[in-house]
Amino acid sequence: MLSVEGLTVRAGSVELVRDVSFEIGPGERVGLIGESGSGKSLTALSLMGLLPEGVTAAGAARLGERDLVGVPERRLKALRGQDVSMVFQEPMTALNPLMRVGAQVTEVMTLHGRPAGQARARAVELLGRVRLPQPEQVARAYPHQLSGGQRQRVMLAIALANEPGLLICDEPTTALDVTVQKQMLDLIAEVAPALLFITHDLAVVASVCERVLVMYGGRVVESGPIREVFGNPRHRYTEGLLAASRLTPRGTRLPVIAGSVPAAGQFPDGCVFTNRCPHATPACEQEPALTGEGHAHACRHPADRG
Amino acid sequence: MILYLLRRLAVFVLSTAVAGVLVFAFMAVLPGDPAEVALGVNATPEAVAALREQFGTDRPAITQFFDWFGGLVTGDFGTSYVTSSPIGPQIGDRLGVTAVLVLGGMLIALIIAVPAGTFAAVHHRNPLGAVISAFSQVGIAVPAFLAGILLVFVFAVQAQVLPSGGYVPIADDPVEWLRGLLLPWLSLGLVQGAVLTRYVRSAVLDVMREDYLRTARAKGRGRMGALWRHGLRNASIPVITVLGLQLATLLIGAVVVERVFVIPGLGDLLLNGVAGRDLLLVQCVVMVLVVAVLLINLLVDLAYAALDPRLRGAR
Repeated sequence: MLSVEGLTVRAGSVELVRDVSFEIGPGERVGLIGESGSGKSLTALSLMGLLPEGVTAAGAARLGERDLVGVPERRLKALRGQDVSMVFQEPMTALNPLMRVGAQVTEVMTLHGRPAGQARARAVELLGRVRLPQPEQVARAYPHQLSGGQRQRVMLAIALANEPGLLICDEPTTALDVTVQKQMLDLIAEVAPALLFITHDLAVVASVCERVLVMYGGRVVESGPIREVFGNPRHRYTEGLLAASRLTPRGTRLPVIAGSVPAAGQFPDGCVFTNRCPHATPACEQEPALTGEGHAHACRHPADRG
Repeated sequence: MILYLLRRLAVFVLSTAVAGVLVFAFMAVLPGDPAEVALGVNATPEAVAALREQFGTDRPAITQFFDWFGGLVTGDFGTSYVTSSPIGPQIGDRLGVTAVLVLGGMLIALIIAVPAGTFAAVHHRNPLGAVISAFSQVGIAVPAFLAGILLVFVFAVQAQVLPSGGYVPIADDPVEWLRGLLLPWLSLGLVQGAVLTRYVRSAVLDVMREDYLRTARAKGRGRMGALWRHGLRNASIPVITVLGLQLATLLIGAVVVERVFVIPGLGDLLLNGVAGRDLLLVQCVVMVLVVAVLLINLLVDLAYAALDPRLRGAR
């Protein structure tokens, strides 16, 4: 379905994402986790051809037969919203405040060649499919008349309208109330074709995805099935991330990863985690490769198999 | 929605009334009795008293105010103490001329500012956008009357293609009417256009950073397509605010430009009134200008409601 090979994202001379490779099979749900600044969102945006001005992607990404990287905007335009769609983090500002919700859902279909009448009817149908009550009324509403959760459902309806092969969700529930997060996640898991799900919330990724990629410093440092990566982390960064998110007994100190994420371009050479890693040795100055079948990691001193 | 309209309308009516009181009070405290002015220094007290009675200026100020303001509301502006001619028709004739002057200037400003500002925003990262910004910066520094004098120098004195002043009614000769108004329009419009360009640029820049533009691109629109379909209407809201303020500025600018180009508009009438110590005329013209500004504000509020559904539900 989706195969990414050696994806590198640069802003000028600074490498923001380096040599990222992964695959997503049809119907597979893959999580992409890491702290802010680890390059998750840039990876996703480069697949959509929506990188900010001055930021460029190199490498290869193919969705089925179609190239997603290094293709002129004219061709990418035709793919966006048609073959690959994206739901963003902030539902409150992602919809045009001056346009009725129905028209915004309809737009993505007419844009890719569906007749207007058909698209309007299907827009209402889609709003029902993302479980918005009274979809006809929602279609006539303006975004400010809907709650954050409802708006995110509208965004999902827009993303699904043309039945894309791949859905990318960038922190889709982070801005929502906890009470509606679960419903939204269940809905995404249910309706997504192939899914690339970006989050920093490990519990969320565990509930939605089958496989996970852990990113740090613009690289994938560990990847594999959720059960194995979370149950038996090998990379020291993954280990720290899991320890930091585990509930700790009352009265004990919260485990943290020492230091903070360096600014873009300020990561150490070799293994990008060396300056924060308690297990780092001079050997780590040589960049470790991502190795291993199925459950892979890029670490010179991996945690033991538990 | 209806509540919003009613509130705006109430604000308009109230501010008009307050403006009426202020204008009247201001003119009343100015020294200079119209009867004394009319009769000159050698008049007998009896003659002055008689004329005061004829003008009605011997009555209490409150009575005079309601008489005047009530007249305005019904369209009766009264009779000039100096020329003894009714003021209403004079203002009516000249209001049309000034409106054409101001609206034409605004139109030119818009024709310049919307494309130039949008272009400067889209190309804000390259030199072309910077050049437009620089030009608009220069334009802001030039006052309208100076622009007018420069335009006269170039087009009327040097090239001799347009008249340097004067006004021909459209009914007499439409071509001469247009030729006569071209330079005044340009001197108002170029400067305001330069100012407006900066506002359009920053409004479009703001909108370009909005999430919904990214959403539009994620749907499959190109950069310009997204901006056109989703950006410009959103960007127009802050621009309309500025436009409303600018119309008020243009009205004031028109007073000066009418002088430069010898156009018989309201500004010209106002300055004549001041020169001739025609207090009632000045009072009426000022009031008409104030109401025009208030009306513009009302229209701006209505335009917001028409554009932005969030306001329609608001109070």
